[in-house]
Amino acid sequence: MNNLLCDFATRDALIDYVAELSPWLDDRQVSPVVGGAAAAMHRLDSIDPLAYGRTRNFLGGAVTGLSPFVRHAIVTLDQLRNLALRRCERPAQVEKFIQQLAWRDYWQRVYRRYPERIWSDVEPYKTGYSAEEYAVELPQDIAAGETGVACIDQFIAVLQQTGYLHNHARMYVAAYVVHWRRVSWQAGARWFLHHLIDGDPASNNLSWQWVASTFGNKPYIFNLENLRKYADAGINTTARDNAVLDASYEMLSERLFPRGTARQ
Amino acid sequence: MSDLIWLHEDGLRADHPVFAAAGVNNSAVFIWDDAYLQQMDYGFKRLVFIYETLVELPLTILRGDQFECLTRLAGEAGGRILAPATPNPRLQQTLERLRRGFEVEMVEDVAFAPLPQEVDLKRFFRYWNKARKVAMSPSSGSRTDSQ
Repeated sequence: MNNLLCDFATRDALIDYVAELSPWLDDRQVSPVVGGAAAAMHRLDSIDPLAYGRTRNFLGGAVTGLSPFVRHAIVTLDQLRNLALRRCERPAQVEKFIQQLAWRDYWQRVYRRYPERIWSDVEPYKTGYSAEEYAVELPQDIAAGETGVACIDQFIAVLQQTGYLHNHARMYVAAYVVHWRRVSWQAGARWFLHHLIDGDPASNNLSWQWVASTFGNKPYIFNLENLRKYADAGINTTARDNAVLDASYEMLSERLFPRGTARQ
Repeated sequence: MSDLIWLHEDGLRADHPVFAAAGVNNSAVFIWDDAYLQQMDYGFKRLVFIYETLVELPLTILRGDQFECLTRLAGEAGGRILAPATPNPRLQQTLERLRRGFEVEMVEDVAFAPLPQEVDLKRFFRYWNKARKVAMSPSSGSRTDSQ
């Protein structure tokens, strides 16, 4: 047992020190998101819960980026709710914002009451496939961000470089991994937990289960038209580079779930 | 006699209620446990984020095995061990082991939506239908669910 340092002249000095403390890791990528209460307070100042309600589904929308701070209790859901209620004229204006906070509360409650659900299927897949038909390991091209589907590879690069992804992008990647590649949600969830600085066993894994349909009524999928609606300018949404996404929902559903999506 | 506050990764805040629950004589620690961090499979990005958070907190950072460090420190301090409540089974397990030798208290954080403990969790919207009213109101500062 030995005391560790608490004072560093620069962020780089702290990063070097943490590298010394984690010799088992090869990847030395650092997030642009700085930890700590001071950084959290700075973000709290700029939260606009009304704009959040209007734009949160857009990849360039007014999301708060506070999830890593909530994950480690640097900021509480209670604090964020009270702040949202102070920054509106009527509570209904910030209901979407508060409802998203409630999702985290909900996942935490599930984790506490049913801890086994974090790594086990809550329900069977509703994809026509049994759990055994999904790959247990994450394919190498996905881990490397070299799937050949342009938007997915861009999202994976952001995940690996920053440790953060917009929630909608997380859903796109999860849907691609589970439904286009038929990889188990557990493999994807494990991979996300390694990279995400806000990765939480409850929010992350249960959201993967929701996408997979093992904790929801149907599998979540998306198509290129949906991506184009929500993506920001930096995302490659051309049909040529995202061919497997370029179809109607009906066509995709037939292609991905040829046995139907009824409950098993 | 002094209480020992074990601030683990699920409660990294200087005004977490665990501080108020401790006696006036107390000391707070975070244990940098290599084996635990490897079990959690955290990448470097996360470790840096956590460490950046730790250096702003009123605590000592120690490197070692969580159980062994806490056993030794609490033995020397002679008081209780207090920790933020957590759903993490690994942390819970360590706290349960410590309970065999010490008085251990898990302290809940401020609740977002105090609800009956048996609230329906089958689907989010079943929960939301029950939680909405209280979630949409400013908090009472309550730390636990209603019974």
